[in-house]
Amino acid sequence: MISEEQQDQAALYALGLLDSDEDAAFESELRANAELRDLVRELREAAGDLALTAPSLLPPASLKERVMGEIAMETTRVVPMATRRAPFSWVPWAIAAALAVFCGLLALDRVRLERQLSDIRAADPLMQTTFYTLAPSAPAPADAKATVAWQPGRQTGVIRISNLPAPQPGKDYQLWAVDAEHKDPISAGVVRVDKSGVAQVRFKPVEKAEHVKAFAISLEREGGVPKKKGPILLVGTA
Amino acid sequence: MAETPTTQQMLDQEMIARIGRRDQSAFSAIYDRLSGPLYSLAMKMLGDPAEAQDALQDVFLQIWSRAGSYDPDQSSVFSWTVLLTRSRVIDRLRARGRRSRVVVASTEETPTAAADASTVESAADTAEKNDEAARVRYVLTNLPSEQREAIEMAFFEHLSHHEIAARLGQPLGTVKARIRRGLLKLRQRLSTL
Repeated sequence: MISEEQQDQAALYALGLLDSDEDAAFESELRANAELRDLVRELREAAGDLALTAPSLLPPASLKERVMGEIAMETTRVVPMATRRAPFSWVPWAIAAALAVFCGLLALDRVRLERQLSDIRAADPLMQTTFYTLAPSAPAPADAKATVAWQPGRQTGVIRISNLPAPQPGKDYQLWAVDAEHKDPISAGVVRVDKSGVAQVRFKPVEKAEHVKAFAISLEREGGVPKKKGPILLVGTA
Repeated sequence: MAETPTTQQMLDQEMIARIGRRDQSAFSAIYDRLSGPLYSLAMKMLGDPAEAQDALQDVFLQIWSRAGSYDPDQSSVFSWTVLLTRSRVIDRLRARGRRSRVVVASTEETPTAAADASTVESAADTAEKNDEAARVRYVLTNLPSEQREAIEMAFFEHLSHHEIAARLGQPLGTVKARIRRGLLKLRQRLSTL
């Protein structure tokens, strides 16, 4: 038998209205009461259905491209370890010990991920994606960075840039593929960042690039140039 | 949310299980099925297309990363994703220190697609969603007005029961009872209609 008070709490819980203490207490009660769990599930379904009463809209198609591009990169990206902010300052030895453990775990994780990536690539030729990490060089901001996911078989890729401020008027950032069999970098098009210094775009070099050693971003005149002229802001190898 | 909920829920669960195994085609399919209602919810709560799109992107990345931990015993896939969306939207509202700017709009169906939208839905899918939405709207609008009001303030504006009581000038117990009765009636009527 579920009391009226429990029903009240169940309704508030289903709507996410309980504060953290109430939430923890109610979850403890839920674990011990199957009938209450069933009620919460029912109320959650009712709450979920409320979403259908919002005026019906569709997101732009470009959002799906963004999301699919992101998960394609996430598939093989190293997952950052969760960190907990310490309530007090750390003593130097604790920092050193934590860093040592972190580096060890990171190294193990890298080996594991490289093995997984190798297995995935071997199992599915469509997954033959190479990742390039682009680091800043002056005059780019020190925290600017970019990652390129490149599929040589398809001659297409996705670049994600962050912390790179928009160029001054009359200028554009241009992406280049540095290929071992081409004397000059191959243009892969102009890349425009948003107000927060972020861009994520698909690209295709203007010429076939089968042995890409590196990708680079340079600052060029607006609209881009056929041959690289401006300074390199970001560059990186696989 | 589908006309045959059990079948649709089973299909959704299968998709989520495949996403848990890193199946991008299943992810693409679940995006096509759920992005409309979830975007509509985010828009209603945030009232800003750019913010709603960012929130929706976060939600789908969470679906991708958390699919393996989805528990069908706790909620349907649809309700799970609605709760994820509300949670992401509420985070954004809190970060900006403001309350939901609920878009006050007609409760009639107003399908709108952005200029570059190209999400493809079959006529059957669209009709099914519209039927389901119309059914929920019908049930909601036929709840006693004080119960509907309390539920909508809690769900779309994310006002706490304390805040709702203050806004309506009603005792806290009354507001709790309105939310409970309204939500129970909603569920009961949706399951029998």
